[in-house]
Amino acid sequence: MRIDQRNKKTFDIYNIMENIKKLILNTVPTAVIEEKQKLTVTVTFDKLHLLAKTLKENAALPFDFLVKLIGVDRGEELGVNYLLCSSTDLSKELVLKTGTTDRENPLLYSITDLFETAQYNEREVFALLGIRFINNPDMRKFFLNADWVGYPLRKDYDANPELNPLSLESVDMIDIAPRITENEKGELVEDTVNIFGEDDYIINIGPQHPSTHGVMHFRTALDGEIVKKIDVHSGYIHRGIEKLSESLTYPQILHFTDRLDYLSANINRHGLCMAVEKAAEIEVPERAQYIRTIMDELNRIDSHLLAWACQTNDLGATTAFIYGMREREIILDIFEKTCGGRLIINQNVVGGVMFDIYNEFQKDVKSFIIYMRDKLKEYDRFFSHNVIALGRMVTIGVLSKEDAINYAVTGPAGRGSGWSCDIRKHIPYALYDKVDFKEIIRTEGDSYARYLNRLDEIEESLHIIEQLIDNVPEGDICAKVKPIIRLPEGEYYSRVEACRGEFGVFIESRGDKFPYRLKFRSPSMALVSAMPLICQNEKVSDFIGIGGSMDYVIPDIDR
Amino acid sequence: MRSIAKYFSGLFIGISSLLKGMSVTWRELWTKKVTQQYPENRDTLVISDRFRCELVMPHDENNEHACTACGICQMNCPNGTIVVTSQMIETEDGKKKKILDTHQWDLGMCTFCNLCVITCPSDAIKFENTYENAVFTRSKLVQKINHEGSKLREKKKEVKPVEAKPVVEAKPVVEKKAVEEVKPEEPKAE
Amino acid sequence: MILNYSQPLEVTNLTSWLDSTLRGSLSEFWVLLIEFVIVGALLLAAYAVIALILIYAERKITAFFQARFGPNRVGKWGLLQSVADMIKILLKEIVKINRSDRFLFFAAPFFMIVASMLTFGAIPFGKALHAIDFNIGVLYVTAVSSLGIIGVLLAGWSSNNKYSMIGAMRSGAQFVSYELSAGFALMTIVVLAGTMQFSTMIEGQRYCWNIFNGHISSMIAFVIYLISGHAETNRGPFDLPEAESELTAGYHTEYSGLQFGFYYLAEYLNMFIIASIATTVFLGGYLPIQVKGWVDFNGIMDYIPSYVWFFGKTAVLIFLSLWVRWSFPRLRIDQLLNLEWKYLLPINLVNIVLMVILVLTGLTLTDLLPGIF
Ligand code: SF4
Ligand code: SF4
Repeated sequence: MRIDQRNKKTFDIYNIMENIKKLILNTVPTAVIEEKQKLTVTVTFDKLHLLAKTLKENAALPFDFLVKLIGVDRGEELGVNYLLCSSTDLSKELVLKTGTTDRENPLLYSITDLFETAQYNEREVFALLGIRFINNPDMRKFFLNADWVGYPLRKDYDANPELNPLSLESVDMIDIAPRITENEKGELVEDTVNIFGEDDYIINIGPQHPSTHGVMHFRTALDGEIVKKIDVHSGYIHRGIEKLSESLTYPQILHFTDRLDYLSANINRHGLCMAVEKAAEIEVPERAQYIRTIMDELNRIDSHLLAWACQTNDLGATTAFIYGMREREIILDIFEKTCGGRLIINQNVVGGVMFDIYNEFQKDVKSFIIYMRDKLKEYDRFFSHNVIALGRMVTIGVLSKEDAINYAVTGPAGRGSGWSCDIRKHIPYALYDKVDFKEIIRTEGDSYARYLNRLDEIEESLHIIEQLIDNVPEGDICAKVKPIIRLPEGEYYSRVEACRGEFGVFIESRGDKFPYRLKFRSPSMALVSAMPLICQNEKVSDFIGIGGSMDYVIPDIDR
Repeated sequence: MRSIAKYFSGLFIGISSLLKGMSVTWRELWTKKVTQQYPENRDTLVISDRFRCELVMPHDENNEHACTACGICQMNCPNGTIVVTSQMIETEDGKKKKILDTHQWDLGMCTFCNLCVITCPSDAIKFENTYENAVFTRSKLVQKINHEGSKLREKKKEVKPVEAKPVVEAKPVVEKKAVEEVKPEEPKAE
Repeated sequence: MILNYSQPLEVTNLTSWLDSTLRGSLSEFWVLLIEFVIVGALLLAAYAVIALILIYAERKITAFFQARFGPNRVGKWGLLQSVADMIKILLKEIVKINRSDRFLFFAAPFFMIVASMLTFGAIPFGKALHAIDFNIGVLYVTAVSSLGIIGVLLAGWSSNNKYSMIGAMRSGAQFVSYELSAGFALMTIVVLAGTMQFSTMIEGQRYCWNIFNGHISSMIAFVIYLISGHAETNRGPFDLPEAESELTAGYHTEYSGLQFGFYYLAEYLNMFIIASIATTVFLGGYLPIQVKGWVDFNGIMDYIPSYVWFFGKTAVLIFLSLWVRWSFPRLRIDQLLNLEWKYLLPINLVNIVLMVILVLTGLTLTDLLPGIF
């Protein structure tokens, strides 16, 4: 019976995907469809927008969630890969590929009108690869200054520091964005737009500001206390991790993942390990899977506690901030005893984990679970129903489900908008298909929903850990892995549920021990990209509060 | 009428929620604090023995280490933190042999990824939990971790390396205390 | 009625002795001059000392609320921490801001400190520890303390900083609103006490503090006064003008060194002033707890010097203020004004009418139970 159902399901999926293929070929007959790790469709650049639109709007299985937008220097051509998936079932994935051979003035069509999240990503691709996108309303470089010489992710990039000398001059911000649009006649027009109005009252929130959770810069136009418009500047701590990775071996790259979103260090690392393991077909031992899952969930609690603490602090409750830190400390101690690191814990390695759990691990974790449950009740009494806190969160910063999907806002924030987007449920990895847990979904979409989601997810994580902690099997903690890992040629994707949403890894390998191109999907970038939308017409103090509820981590954006 | 009821119920619910919040802080006011008082607690401070603070090369009582100067750690380090310099010498039986000259490690550049340790084929290096590493100049962060005049341990006499630092000898105690520390506070009766 | 004036610890004897000695040898003018100077110097000293103590107390108490130890490095239990801070503030460079309105920028902190100083002078700290006793003391205090807002507004305006500007504007709105409530709450008690002079008001509370005398109405006025007083001093959850996580430091973002010190001191002193006015008006000021008929008990209570009573009661109120401050998140500006105009002010107006009725119909406790109160 069960088997039948499963067969039927596979059959359905097969059918749907066959239909999608037909749909693709009907729309763009010249499309090249390949069955790789993901279904990959290559089209010429002028057909991409049409195809993306058709896929997004098809009724059977709308591909309306743009997971990743990856710029790649493919050698003779500069291209972009789009990983699309369906917002109702995240496991239905599709890769669109396109590119242009014009390396002097590469132009592609923007899909910003279909997927809002594409906007920042396209700007990033412009900064790093120099591809400009026609019809993107704002073609400034993301991460880099407008006057940066060269495009770092191109293979022929000249990294000579003399080209881009360190400047200590204060440079005024220029609020004029170039763009390139296509008019009805099909001609390309280059012009500029002013981001702000003539006499807007603009304040800089960031890059140094107590509440931006890192070096983020919001240029904010105010009307009295009300936020009129926000312009996001990022890149103050861009470290070029993706570029650096292109000359490092996979085990070496691992230590970068901890430094992306340092609060979900272990989960990010898990993501990259999974990508490499899948590509190199390494079987991870059972014990390692247990340890990974437990550590991931501890990491999630740790991160959510910090998020809770920072959110309360953003709302002006310093005391709650310290309470959150107090509880987090216990997790950090457990981390420290397990793998010798507190924030950057270096636990996962390709093939398993680096350190086995210590003798008293189970005991420590179990006593923490009891303690944490008690504290969750305290948080509830202390803050969750506080009338002032409610006033600062309920119906503030509402993000609708459509917008959440459109801006690719995942994680507790996406689920707070009623979108079931938990990778652990949709594409289970590690042991998530073996444990029982609820996906916390709220439909209000406001700050309060995001706030409560995090607290509830702490409880769910505790529940997951509880189911695993006593059953850790004996065995190896790491599979036998060759000292030098070479991935077979191909493109590899992996997706994990980090603390702030979906963390993704893309590896393009050309059979070397170094990746040809490595790209991380940062959940925080999507969160920040939704900020201008949900903060519009809110008070400036709520802007800070909403920022706290979205809980972005800047190094995650500035990879 | 309803709006008046709402006005007052809102008022009272609000006030009671505030009082509840105040009761939490009141409880905390009298709870024993868990803050550690460093450096007063240096003697009792427990640092987990896996904590990575300083790269060391264990030497035994004969001032011998296990490093063959193969340079794998240097190659594996993602940050160029390790510089292994070796020299060629001639052994008594006339064979050429590479021996370690200096194994230099830069604390300021290390990201504590532990790759060097896990990839070292002779288990010659490891991380120690000596945590007080602050110095006044950057140059002091660059350390030579093989001792002066040390040499490679002969393969035959596989002695277990004696730890250079006494911290590790106290390991059982360390672990026990560490566990106690994590135990949650019993809610204090007032 | 007055049990005795011969307690050894009171300063009454000291002051009268000083006065008579001076008068014995000097002319009226010189006596007054010397006395004024002494009183002024003492007040200034008290101002600084109280602020330092408050800063220390706040930091310590806050820390304990927040699962921390607070200052514990400078001196035993960190007792010298605020002294060290003061020295640091005095030694710090006063930064000159380009393109700011220099004159107003420098003048602003003085408004702040002078306003709180003027109010401070009118507070009865104990028997014979009352510098000026106006017959319109309550009115004077209300009027003078509201001068401080000028300092805040000027600071925000002259700093040429957008954060400061927003902070100052918030502060303006907040202050104007809450001054209203605070004033009305005090007026409610003026109705009850029938006087605006602090000394008479205190004497009237010998056996029954105003807060009990007017029961419901007084209680409401007391709570409202505490809330609006708290709001006037710009302390959390009403610290919008500073709103650290939003506006970095609000109106005093650009200030450094001594000028910042002025704001800092004034903030703490204002907290003290609000608490001490509440003590004086609602809690019987410097009078000890006395019960009609219990002569022995009264005697013992009276033995404790009046200033100890005063500071004790004030300390309790200050603790309450700290407790509130460190338990709640910050309000938003519209919520803040909502609280005032939708809740506090209407309740206050009804309350004042209620008080008038209570007094006129003889329903106050002293009227109802003259035997006990
Ligand atoms: S420490 Fe290990 S890896 Fe490094 S040179 Fe010596 S033997 Fe080789
Ligand atoms: S821990 Fe990592 S960064 Fe540090 S020396 Fe070893 S390999 Fe290099």
